[in-house]
Amino acid sequence: MDYVLTLMPSMLKGWTVTLQIFFIVLIFALPLGVIMGIARLSTFKPLAWFMELYVWLFRGTPLLLQLLFWYFGLMAVGLRLEREMAVYVAFVLNYAAYLAEIFRSGIQSIDKGQYEAADVLGLNRKQTMSQIVLPQVFKRVMPPIGNEVINLVKDTALVYIIAMSELSRAARIHAVRDENLIPFAIAAVFYLLMTAIVQQFFKWLESKLDYYR
Amino acid sequence: MAMLQATDIHKKFGHLKVLKGVSLQVEKGEVIAIIGPSGSGKSTLLRCLNRLERIDQGCIEIESETMAKNGPKGWAVYSDEKDIERMRRKMGMVFQNFNLFPHKSVLENLMLAPVLVNGMGKTEAEKIARELLDKVGLSFKADNYPFELSGGQQQRVAIARALTLNPSIMCFDEPTSALDPELTGEVLHVMRDLALEHMTMIVVTHEIGFAREVANRVIFMDDGLIVEQGTAEEVLLNPTQERTKSFLGTVLMAR
Repeated sequence: MDYVLTLMPSMLKGWTVTLQIFFIVLIFALPLGVIMGIARLSTFKPLAWFMELYVWLFRGTPLLLQLLFWYFGLMAVGLRLEREMAVYVAFVLNYAAYLAEIFRSGIQSIDKGQYEAADVLGLNRKQTMSQIVLPQVFKRVMPPIGNEVINLVKDTALVYIIAMSELSRAARIHAVRDENLIPFAIAAVFYLLMTAIVQQFFKWLESKLDYYR
Repeated sequence: MAMLQATDIHKKFGHLKVLKGVSLQVEKGEVIAIIGPSGSGKSTLLRCLNRLERIDQGCIEIESETMAKNGPKGWAVYSDEKDIERMRRKMGMVFQNFNLFPHKSVLENLMLAPVLVNGMGKTEAEKIARELLDKVGLSFKADNYPFELSGGQQQRVAIARALTLNPSIMCFDEPTSALDPELTGEVLHVMRDLALEHMTMIVVTHEIGFAREVANRVIFMDDGLIVEQGTAEEVLLNPTQERTKSFLGTVLMAR
């Protein structure tokens, strides 16, 4: 137990880094995902095609490689991104691609009749989207979004590859130094704690949106 | 003055010719029932009148204002988007599947267009919404959500919602076809009340009884054309065309 306590300061410090990555990525990736999901369905074909290419590229390669690209890759051609910045760029662009696909399918699942009803009532496109379509989309995509958010909690561990000291890296350092697996077990507990909170939050959100069908 | 004048409307979906030259004039206060087998083009005609579908050829005028007419190349050319939107506001539309907004309460469904489209204040919009709900007998459902209503109630809300913009013409696209038989009565009742107030109405319907009782004019369509039209008595009781006779024969036999 004393050993566990001695680990705590650095583990907690790593944990705050993990949390910071988690929240910053969410704050930027969610709205970006909505915008990209809408753009993917644009009647302006070049934009729709560009989004398709984008999704393919960022969903089709490992996030680990993308991290390496934004940090070391850019460094190699003389463009240096700060470590944190490279992490945010890599995660936001990657997660936005997944979220865009979720929002796209959500938008497409809304009945054509909803658009027609809004149309005959005189709502313009923007009003139709913001008042009629998107609120219904948010309800429908909540479960898959919850999945992505939980993935994000765990994916933050990937940033060890560019030597950022988040939770899992703190655990690894201790484990190697002390030749002991307990730091990993502690890290697992931290991750489970975070995912439990996320899970409960989405459960609450879904129940909040349960007032209509 | 005709409320609505449609001349020689043609409409294709891909290679399928759905309307093959349909003309229709609607006078103020008229109640027109359009009947015909499925695939006859009756719903498409209605949807063309308020530009839910674009016509390929022909001319549409609403209260003497041109919405679309044939251009020099022989294809229909639509007027300015702004003018069209203004013309479309004169037409209320009721769909077969109600298309209420499920995430908004009944009252919110009715307040939406007055507030967003006409820029009306919330208090005034709510007053109008409540009056219209009263008219369709659903005041007590104002704060409920659509899924809590029966199909018949949902359609009555949809009719009230279409009335919020104070249209001069009401279009109904098979308003009772998605309803259980015992629920059609309440919807037809609301429509009958509207007709009694001299609302101009175009109703695509399978309800021969309603057409006979309420419509000033019955139009029978088949295969993208108007086959026969006249008073309900003429078309429904004494049809002159073979196709009308055989259609009515099948429909009435099914009852």
